[in-house]
Amino acid sequence: MEAFLPVLVLLAISLGLCVGIFGVSTLLNPRNLPPVATKLNPYECGVKPEGGARQPFHSQFYLIAVLFLLFDVEGVFFFPWALVYRESLASGGALLLAIAVYMGLLTLGLVYIFRKDCLEIM
Amino acid sequence: MTGLEWIILLSKLLVIYLTIVHVVPIMIWVERKGAALIQDRPGPNRVGPFGLLQPVADALKFLVKEDPIPNSVNRVLYAMGPFMTLVPASLIVAVLPVGDFFEVQGKSYFMQIADINVGLLYLLSISSLGIYGILFGGWASNNKYSLMGAMRSASQIISYEIPLGLAAVGAVTVYGTFSLREMALGQEGTFLAVLPRWGVFMQPIGFLVFFISAFAETNRLPFDLPETEGELVAGFHTEYGSMKFATYFMAEYMNMATISGLMTTLYFGGWHLPYLTDATLLGWLGGQRNLLAVLQFLIFFFQSCCLPAHFRLGALDGAAFPL
Repeated sequence: MEAFLPVLVLLAISLGLCVGIFGVSTLLNPRNLPPVATKLNPYECGVKPEGGARQPFHSQFYLIAVLFLLFDVEGVFFFPWALVYRESLASGGALLLAIAVYMGLLTLGLVYIFRKDCLEIM
Repeated sequence: MTGLEWIILLSKLLVIYLTIVHVVPIMIWVERKGAALIQDRPGPNRVGPFGLLQPVADALKFLVKEDPIPNSVNRVLYAMGPFMTLVPASLIVAVLPVGDFFEVQGKSYFMQIADINVGLLYLLSISSLGIYGILFGGWASNNKYSLMGAMRSASQIISYEIPLGLAAVGAVTVYGTFSLREMALGQEGTFLAVLPRWGVFMQPIGFLVFFISAFAETNRLPFDLPETEGELVAGFHTEYGSMKFATYFMAEYMNMATISGLMTTLYFGGWHLPYLTDATLLGWLGGQRNLLAVLQFLIFFFQSCCLPAHFRLGALDGAAFPL
């Protein structure tokens, strides 16, 4: 765990930087400007905002996220394989065959997604 | 850890981290000046020689600007957004090896903030945390355009993370390690007698995939769909003003700097020059080369900024999966 100590120090430094930036900015900001109602409206191209922003919207974004999750989790299994790739080549190609089967399964899933037009955003 | 080790750790942290932070204004200047050069206009030329101090003036202006918070926002998430993108962008810096090692009182120290044995995985996972800041900002703004911009950003970034990770798998098979330092060490010398032993020659296709995904991850042209000014104002940071906006901006450029650093480490030999081994060069000359290589990459990022190419979003997300 000793190796992660510098990361923690870096985290502290970057948080400090953030706090510093906002502190200085808060100190230097102009205060007590006359309140203007339109300035505090959401900016939607100068048109008066109609209704709230938090309404249902296109579920394709959700689908993309779910597919990402699936493929990312599946992709993680490539990493340990890649780590021992050299040694496995030396001791025969059994691991190569295994990963080829796995990749074939992934490709099947990909083909299914394309056949279902899941990635089309209109 | 002894006192000396703490001092060395802190100085390493400050030097590497502040270098990345200070690359940001230089990048902005190069981008604006380069774009002006390509489009035959003067670009920034008022502040300092060749407009070099323009980013400094911009930063000062951001600091003293009024920071209006719209009425309808969710205040906690709205304030957290910029933090949530800047902190992960800073944390990635930790695993980039900027050189081999240096010696203080007979002990050698790696020129890297933290030599983690899972460096590549650390980098990929931390860099994806930046999405939370974007989504927080977009949702908390309570602005339809911001929300759509945030969703677009998020879907683009997560789509291109898969090809980015899979391209990195290719690099791992070549070097047989996750430690970025060992990867850079493995790229010294030549192979096939003529080519430098660089990742870009060992893994040309992997490099291409990585390169395209890196552009998409950092929202540079031709992948700047989340920003589509004509449709969405500016994307997720429309409602942000003053230093909060500048923080988002800074995080974006820091991500660019670190992803160029990663590309240098994986595919351009880290701190290694072609045909020259470390034994030939003196150890300290190496670190400068890495910075030079990073800078070369940044210039490349900006040149492509001027390519007037736009893709449809659907086409983009669809294109990510075959990659």
